[in-house]
Amino acid sequence: MTATAIAPTTSPEQPVQENRGSAVTDWLKSQYALYILVALLLVATITRGSIFWGGTNLTNLLLQMSIIGVVVMAELIVVLTGGIDISVGSTLGLAAVVAAGLFGGPSVLLALVVAVIIGGIVGAVNGWLVAFRGLEPFIVTLGMLALARGLVYAYGNGIPINPKAASSFAQLGQTTVIGIPVLAIIWLAVVGLIAFLLYRTVWGRRVYAIGSNIDAARSSGIPVRTTLWSVYILAGLLVGLGGWIFLARFASGTSTAGNLLELEAIAAVVIGGARLSGGFGKVFGALVGTIIFAVIANLLSLLNVSTFLQDAFRGALILVAVTLATVQFTRRRKASDSTTPAAK
Amino acid sequence: MATLQREDSPASPETRDIAFTAVGVKKHYPGVKALDGVDLQGYAGEVLAICGANGAGKSTFAKLLAGVQTPTEGEITVTGYPHPVRDAAEAEQAGVLMMHQEPLIIDDFTVGENVWLYKLRAGRDIRPWATKVDTNDSRTRDVLRGVGLGHLRTNQKAADLGPGQRQMLSLSRAAVTKHKIMILDETTASTSEEHFKDILDLVAREKAAGTSIIFVSHRLNEVFAMCDRIAVLRNGMLVDVLKTSETNPDEITTLMIGQALKALDRPDAVAVTDAEPVVSVRNLYGGTAKGVSFDVNPGEIVGLYGLVGSGRSSVARTITGQKRAVEGTITVRGQEVVLDSPGTALKKGIAYLTEDRRLEGFVKDFDNGENMSLVVLPRMAKAGVVDGKREKKRIRELISEFQVKGGPKTYTSSLSGGNQQKVVVAKWLEADPDFVVLDEPTKGIDVGARSNIYQIIHRVAARGKGVLVVSSEAEELLSLCHRILVMRNGRIVGEFNPDDEGVDTDALIRIALHSDD
Repeated sequence: MTATAIAPTTSPEQPVQENRGSAVTDWLKSQYALYILVALLLVATITRGSIFWGGTNLTNLLLQMSIIGVVVMAELIVVLTGGIDISVGSTLGLAAVVAAGLFGGPSVLLALVVAVIIGGIVGAVNGWLVAFRGLEPFIVTLGMLALARGLVYAYGNGIPINPKAASSFAQLGQTTVIGIPVLAIIWLAVVGLIAFLLYRTVWGRRVYAIGSNIDAARSSGIPVRTTLWSVYILAGLLVGLGGWIFLARFASGTSTAGNLLELEAIAAVVIGGARLSGGFGKVFGALVGTIIFAVIANLLSLLNVSTFLQDAFRGALILVAVTLATVQFTRRRKASDSTTPAAK
Repeated sequence: MATLQREDSPASPETRDIAFTAVGVKKHYPGVKALDGVDLQGYAGEVLAICGANGAGKSTFAKLLAGVQTPTEGEITVTGYPHPVRDAAEAEQAGVLMMHQEPLIIDDFTVGENVWLYKLRAGRDIRPWATKVDTNDSRTRDVLRGVGLGHLRTNQKAADLGPGQRQMLSLSRAAVTKHKIMILDETTASTSEEHFKDILDLVAREKAAGTSIIFVSHRLNEVFAMCDRIAVLRNGMLVDVLKTSETNPDEITTLMIGQALKALDRPDAVAVTDAEPVVSVRNLYGGTAKGVSFDVNPGEIVGLYGLVGSGRSSVARTITGQKRAVEGTITVRGQEVVLDSPGTALKKGIAYLTEDRRLEGFVKDFDNGENMSLVVLPRMAKAGVVDGKREKKRIRELISEFQVKGGPKTYTSSLSGGNQQKVVVAKWLEADPDFVVLDEPTKGIDVGARSNIYQIIHRVAARGKGVLVVSSEAEELLSLCHRILVMRNGRIVGEFNPDDEGVDTDALIRIALHSDD
């Protein structure tokens, strides 16, 4: 029906067929978080090798990771949409103390339900304000940070709350399956679930689309608001679960539970290569980020560094890692430009 | 467009001063030679066009000249500057002014402040503690009048301007900066025909002042209206440099794509039976549209023509759910619908291809595959879980069907405008809509990809779907559509059949401007 002659000569650039080998090298090149981790493990092996790799320490390390690890996954999905949740620490504390204190904390299962519901409610409020009222996630969750922490202090008057079932909590915290603590298994299951949701489902694709280009997502018929809301609710549920894990680990709901956790969660997500403006980030990266933070905290206490200096070290690591991330990012962008430089 | 006359040819360029000299300029990227040895000279007081298909290297050349990128080999020297320019700051000192395709405007600044933006630059003569320039004085107003923006208030926020006005605002800086070379990189891509005259005036003034002007474009009618010489690039090589007075658009097109492009024939209208219209719009209000009524029949390609602000985009956006209608009814295949979101429109079988691809068309962090399946993903999933194999298979089929350059894993944002548009078209057609609205479907797309897009539009209509093409290019609509509606001030003021006697570009522009006599 149309008579046209399109010269194939208009295509000077042809995509270079990538072989599998170069794909692996490319992947390895972008995993700088992994190298930080390897370096840390080397330092640990050299300085305190025997203690660090000891069974007790490793179990301890895994337990430490499972609390923050679940929160990191919550932070990751929020960051992928281009948002941020700085209320995760306070919400975790709230979930932990209420789960410990409500009805006197008679059972582990009831505590789980309570903790998850508390987290879900907080997430739903955050998400509703962000998605349907169009408020800035930073401001919304900043308010929630203060609100939830205030409720934590008010609930227990600043005194740690010990649930009636403290002994079963403690038992759960120490239970292991083939040497791996149950709490760590729960954490890894959460990681698997998030990976599945993000990579395999329509919902996951929508999360990435919204984070990368909200206008294109909207005009492609994606239900932007409900998807955003669901992200915050899911994040809240996960944080609530984190509060329960906290309870299982320490068998007590302290009013400082989860304090400054948002800092580590955001840092772990960023070190893992996610972009704070949204649309880019991987579960694996966030997982590595989680491990880095746990290892560094562990290592610093093994090296007898004072608690005050530990915070400074952690802050410094965040700055170094974020700087590295920008270096890496510009390099990657240049590389992707160069594939089709002539295209304007 | 046809009525615009080119400024008279200047004295032979050889007698004029050389403004810049490019010698053996090469720009290689890994695997690709964007520019492969270009020798070119520009003269003061002359307009030089750089033409080429997408990917020919014309934008790369402009970037090298402006110092945004550095050549791999060869060098560009600007007369009066001691050594070849190495970066953007040096190029600026040497007097190169680059007008980017995307205008550099700070939204939160006023129109006046945007004119004087360069005053904020660091430099020897611009101290940070210097007092702020008055941006509301008569000088600023003169500058704005010079680019056809005299009706704007200088203290108005730049965010309120339309795309054409933004481009003109950024061009106004030519009047306040010192420069010897001015590069217009696809500057007319986002402006409409009415601003073109202002650009012509500006170029004429610059020319008289002895500026060497580089116009990077593939819109040949504008090139011929504006330029003295035309340099044609193809695959990174300089094919030829011709005087405008000694050549014609056909010759340039042939040089650009390497072989002759035959005219595009409009297919016969699918026999419009008395079947009910795909879409009928009655008395629609919304945005700048004030009481619009029309029908689109199955198999029909309807064109919607109008100048910027005539309400053509408002109509397109309201009937596709991008924007809510204030009043009026929209009926899809006999059923009245309320379109409150693009999602609802999609469910009713309406697709909207945006005019702004980068902003709304595709997701920049997604590869071709992910972008193509974005709309129809729920259909490729079971209980929300994507069927990966099915998705991949379908994407491969789509890529070959729509002749998209690059594979499923190529990032859409790295493709040329034409290929990006193909991805966006594929994404929407995959949803199998009954009614497709295309807003400026060939904006910023070169000749070859253009005819691809036209073919696709024809195929859609041939399957009995309704198509509405919104465009500011009368010529495009005349060759593509079965029926053309012209809008002015929010109303439809004319309906044309392109096959009728006397229906041509002039007729459409006249009625759109309301100067029928």
